[in-house]
Amino acid sequence: MSPLSRRAVVGAAAAALVTGCGGPTAAGPAVTPGARRSAPRESAAPRPASRPSGAAPVRLLVPAIGVDTPVLRLGLAADGTVEVPPVTAHDRAGWYRYSPPPGQVGPSVILGHVTVGPYGDGVFRHLARLHRGDAVTARLADGRTAEFAVREVRTVAKADFPAGEVYGDVDRPELRLITCGGPRTGDGYLANVIVFAALRAAGP
Amino acid sequence: MRRTVLSGLALAGTALLAGAVPAFADASPTQMPRTQAATAVPSAAPSDAPGTGATPSPVPRTRTAAPTAVPSTGPGRGQVRVVPSGAPDTGVATASAGDSGNSGVLVGGGAAVLAGAGTAFLVVRRRRATGA
Repeated sequence: MSPLSRRAVVGAAAAALVTGCGGPTAAGPAVTPGARRSAPRESAAPRPASRPSGAAPVRLLVPAIGVDTPVLRLGLAADGTVEVPPVTAHDRAGWYRYSPPPGQVGPSVILGHVTVGPYGDGVFRHLARLHRGDAVTARLADGRTAEFAVREVRTVAKADFPAGEVYGDVDRPELRLITCGGPRTGDGYLANVIVFAALRAAGP
Repeated sequence: MRRTVLSGLALAGTALLAGAVPAFADASPTQMPRTQAATAVPSAAPSDAPGTGATPSPVPRTRTAAPTAVPSTGPGRGQVRVVPSGAPDTGVATASAGDSGNSGVLVGGGAAVLAGAGTAFLVVRRRRATGA
């Protein structure tokens, strides 16, 4: 083989190696990077009333697990399941807008991710660490707050999701915090962690 | 002449392998967040600004007979106006396992390309030495 042919073979092999390694690395999970933690819009002066007025929640605080997050509004996904917050870095919690606002009679439902894929831990990463009596505070759009106390923390298989207990009617203001948990299956989880909380106090 | 033909064959084989490696990588399972479909629907997109919500259009399963546009928590009606179906999908596992899998495919593909090129080179040299 002449030096020219030899150089051609070696050069082609090197070029193929570079081409093969460079191609697919550009492909990654298509997620929306735009969402960031932002200051919630609140009214300038909270009114001095003792009962929440039914305004939507704008912020959620769970001091026992270091959660202080803005709250999005969530609806339904196209398949009829509850919509979940976007998978982004610094993800946020979301209030299911067909449930009562925190502080109103009924189960107010707030959801958050336990992990957000390549971004690591989600806002509700440590939800399962809550204990009975821990405080959960929802700040509302009108500046008022509703403070809840954890009543129960439960991990249930998704196949046995207790929709009746989560979404069913109750006779007082309650709160449900929901995320995923349990064993992992590929890119998901087999169970949900559900925190049941009841209103402890409401104020400006 | 024969040398030229063998060199051409080696080049063609190398180029074929180079094209096949990215195809393998693309075909491997990816870690697409399962929430993408949910967030891709503009009408159901979450927003920062709380206010009067839009009327729910997709109603798969409701507690009441027919969801109304007016929120109602009165007696006889569900406090949750529209009960979602299934369990919430609020966890996308980390993609580290999938990434390392893709890297393995890339490394393996690169090694295969090098091995092919080396084999072609040796065959050419051996045939030339034996005068075949």
